[in-house]
Amino acid sequence: MIEAERSEAPASPGERLYRWLDARFGVGRLVEFARHKEVPVGGHSMLWYYLGGTTLFFFTVQLVSGVLLLMYYQPGEATSYESIRYITAKVPFGWLIRSIHCWSAHLMIASLVVHMFSTMILKAYRKPRELTWVTGFALFAIALGFGFSGYLLPWNELSFFATAVGTDSVKSVPLIGQWLLEVMRGGPDVTINTLYRFFALHIVILPLAMVAVLSAHLVFIQVQGMAPGMAHQRPDRPGLKFFPDFLARDLLLWLVCLIVLAILVYLLPYGPGIPGMEWELGKKANPLAPAYPGIKPEWYFLWIYQLLKEFPAHLFGMEGPQAALLVVTVLMGIWALVPFIDRRARKGQPSPAFTDLAIAAIIFMAYLTLKAWDIGGKGLPGKLPDPRATAWVCAWITLGLASGIAVLRILAYRQRWMVFSGAALLQVVLNGVFGMDYLIAGGIALVFVIAGLVVASRKQPSVQVGVPR
Amino acid sequence: MRPLLPLLLLLAQTPPASPPDDGKLPATVEKLFEEKEKDGKPILGDAERAYLKKLPLHTRELIGKDVDALTVGGARHLKALLALELSSQSAAIVFSDNCILCHSDPESQKKIHLFSADPKATQSNELLNLKNFVSDVHFRRGLSCAGCHGGSPEKDVMTPDIAARWPKADVRHMDRTWIPEFCARCHADPSFMRGFNPSLPTDQLSKYKESQHGILLLQEKDSKAAQCVSCHGVHGIRGSKSRQSKVHPQAIPETCGQCHADAKYMAGYKKDDGTPLPTNQLEGFKKSVHGKALLEKGDLGAPACNSCHGNHAAMPPKVNSVSQVCRTCHSQNGTFFDGSKHKQAFEAHRWPECEKCHGKHEIAKPTDALISDAPDGLCGACHAQNAPNNPECNATARYFRSSLDDLVGTSQRLRPEAEELASRGLDAEPVLASLEELSEAIVQTRSRVHTFDRGGFDQGAKVGREAVAKTETLVEGARKEQRYRRTGLLVSIGLMSLLAVAMGLKIRELGRRRSGGNGGRRNR
Amino acid sequence: MTAPAARSVKPARRSVLNWLLGAGVVGWAASVLHPVLRYLRPLGEAGAGSPLRLSTEELSTLGKSHFVIARSGTRKVIVFEAGGELRALDAKCTHEGCTVQFVPGDSLLWCACHNGKFDLDGRVLSGPPPRPLMKWVATREGNEVILTMEKA
Repeated sequence: MIEAERSEAPASPGERLYRWLDARFGVGRLVEFARHKEVPVGGHSMLWYYLGGTTLFFFTVQLVSGVLLLMYYQPGEATSYESIRYITAKVPFGWLIRSIHCWSAHLMIASLVVHMFSTMILKAYRKPRELTWVTGFALFAIALGFGFSGYLLPWNELSFFATAVGTDSVKSVPLIGQWLLEVMRGGPDVTINTLYRFFALHIVILPLAMVAVLSAHLVFIQVQGMAPGMAHQRPDRPGLKFFPDFLARDLLLWLVCLIVLAILVYLLPYGPGIPGMEWELGKKANPLAPAYPGIKPEWYFLWIYQLLKEFPAHLFGMEGPQAALLVVTVLMGIWALVPFIDRRARKGQPSPAFTDLAIAAIIFMAYLTLKAWDIGGKGLPGKLPDPRATAWVCAWITLGLASGIAVLRILAYRQRWMVFSGAALLQVVLNGVFGMDYLIAGGIALVFVIAGLVVASRKQPSVQVGVPR
Repeated sequence: MRPLLPLLLLLAQTPPASPPDDGKLPATVEKLFEEKEKDGKPILGDAERAYLKKLPLHTRELIGKDVDALTVGGARHLKALLALELSSQSAAIVFSDNCILCHSDPESQKKIHLFSADPKATQSNELLNLKNFVSDVHFRRGLSCAGCHGGSPEKDVMTPDIAARWPKADVRHMDRTWIPEFCARCHADPSFMRGFNPSLPTDQLSKYKESQHGILLLQEKDSKAAQCVSCHGVHGIRGSKSRQSKVHPQAIPETCGQCHADAKYMAGYKKDDGTPLPTNQLEGFKKSVHGKALLEKGDLGAPACNSCHGNHAAMPPKVNSVSQVCRTCHSQNGTFFDGSKHKQAFEAHRWPECEKCHGKHEIAKPTDALISDAPDGLCGACHAQNAPNNPECNATARYFRSSLDDLVGTSQRLRPEAEELASRGLDAEPVLASLEELSEAIVQTRSRVHTFDRGGFDQGAKVGREAVAKTETLVEGARKEQRYRRTGLLVSIGLMSLLAVAMGLKIRELGRRRSGGNGGRRNR
Repeated sequence: MTAPAARSVKPARRSVLNWLLGAGVVGWAASVLHPVLRYLRPLGEAGAGSPLRLSTEELSTLGKSHFVIARSGTRKVIVFEAGGELRALDAKCTHEGCTVQFVPGDSLLWCACHNGKFDLDGRVLSGPPPRPLMKWVATREGNEVILTMEKA
């Protein structure tokens, strides 16, 4: 040992530091691990492996811009709105920091959603990575919580009413609904106390939760490595080294994201102007004023908002909102537990049913989101949009989207399992094109699903030919 | 012992305990509930029963006595009275007033004398609206039928003095000259009115006698002229502060218009100069800035007919007093005008100052277009006849107009710019505040037109021009900030793109280095 | 290309590339750090929040004519001395929004637009204004005067 040291050239400061740390903390093991870390290659586009990183990047941007905003933001009846006005109008580059924070929030959630669907379709959740999926789902919920709590902090008209509408649905939770409502709002109505609670949620509670769950998520990935493609499609190719190759590409993508963010912030400082995605400061919240016309929650909540509107006042002995919340809970539960339900993927076999389930989810949420935007409803100032006209136009748009996806699947990937997506599309067509009630159409679609599953289980394994996912 | 005796006597006289109120209706009233319509359905139902139960005991007993005495004639009569939904106090008054009770019985009164809650439905005399009457200000203060018509509400027959009070029916509808004196019996008596409403004026009759209506009615015996009842009504009189009153400011134009907008009714009446009295005032007023403010915006500070013409002493303001009337609100413009050259000229010509340019009933919102040196314009028409060869007047008009056009034009140009800046994320609040200052300066400058003098006008225009300069500086500042942001963005994008290119090249180099050792395969 | 040959060409190219990379990183850091550092540096004036401070100009006008109309954004407040103390009312007439004036001789506030008159507590004395003027609170702090809206 001593001979080896003496025979080498004088060590650089960096090397000396490394050796000092290694002797005390075994840093060398970490370096060895990093040197051998690889990203799987083959089977599908490498693009999908970057999406978790972009989500993390946007979250980091949120953290930094959020801390900067915190330097000037003051929660309070006379100061919440005023301090944000001060930041955007007077503080040098305050407009930039605030706009970055708003844009990056939406980009983070968009990136998260694409990341979630890509891992779903590529079956990255299969054994042994079930808990990575579950923690990922928890991160999704936390991110939505961030979005919802942060939205109220400017204390302007839009956020006040959006929060009132959003928190209202909580009272439909059985047994603890009213209690939950009052705890969330800090009282029966939305007041400045609600803002104080949301502020605590936004800057302490959720960040702590995020850090904890994110650490778990990342540790799982380090220990298990990134998910390779399915066995049947993975040619025997060596992986791409994480350090420095993948990391370099990752950093380049993050830089591109930053550039895109800068351009968006400059061109559209208040958002693209789509309802549910706009953040002009507007007027200060006035709890005594009547509700804002055309109030909409943020775009990622629109499908729940629309679903609540589709339910009648009472259904099967429950109140409408309660039934709707039950449906949403069941769907989310299925989604969270997908790794444990998908037996074929667990065995490493192609699982086209779950790919189809992901497509069905996209169709389901897209249709509701489009309807929530009143697209095609011919709404004018003073005239409410016509729900029938909206449903018609949105149904055709969704049909177009779904057809495109189906053609892609059949031709490019030779998939033929369409039961779930077919059922979702059936509901869309029955409701939008033929005017059937949304829930009745849903019932018919459910029957279709059950029938399809029964038929499929009769026809045994080799129902799919080709290379499905 | 002796002082105690009166005390003991007093204590001995405890009043008898009142029977507990069990909510039961008197027997006679109960019997009415058995009466049925022709089709078998009971006339009185649960609603009426519930209402009666809510009345205090003494009122229920009163009703019972009335039914007994036949002053309440039957179930239909009771139903008509209960339909008024009176408070228990008003119910007590109504059910002890035999005049009302008799005259509201649909089964014993002739339609011409029937008081009902909805005269249209019962096809009875539309002046006899019982629902209006119980809200009438006289009724609520305790002056019921007998107070004007005579007789006594306790008696159950009409006494001779009722007929003696009034002229005979056919006479009193044709000859209305008795009405003002009749109302004045109370309303011109200060000591009497003091007992009811000390702040109500009692000079209406003396004012009325000097008004055009008063002169027509009382001196020329023209019964078409308006008197108390024409404007105030008879049985549903409300104070002018009530929105349902015929003399509420927002109702007054229509009330006056009942006659004055009716060309047929006003045919034959002439102005002092012999021309027929116009009937287009109401129409003009509704289009005017005052009419819109009063009737559409609901601004009760805006003038109705009586604000300029007076109430009881109504008379068109004389030529030399029109402007005094306008000055009650537009005092600043009046003061400016008084100091101007026009004042002497208008007095010499005996012109009605404000009205000459602005009109009287159909006063449109003034626009800057009124100020011009065009020969057929507002100024030109007069000046050509009366003050020709005054080139400085034309020059002044042009100066006024161009200054105002500049200020207004700048304001209109800068406002969308400010809004555009705001939508781009810049701080537009100082610009908008400065624009508001400019708007205020424009208002003041327009007011100063009435000085008809450059110096006076410039005092306002100067402030306006300062506001313009300030706004333009602020807009320029915001534009500078916008350019700074754009430059900053381009520079930072440029630098970051440089880095991105360098990173891309580095990645390629890394790949090439690897492929140099690995046999030529690149990963993306 | 053999490995040693490759390596002999690389150093020159690599150093250019590394230089480019370094410059890019510096440029990126500058683009990010410049706004952040400017943002963090506090401004001279007081932070956010609603109290209005009279500017030096406004203070001198107050000293000379015993009243001044202070503006901040779209708000305007009339500050005047009455009965030895400093008072403040909203300067926007409740009729059509014109700015009121102080008439010390009559101890009232006058709106020139339609001759509306208010007393020194903001109550309507005569004319078309439908509502009284909102009250503000003026407090002296050393050389400064601070205005806050009166809490209802």
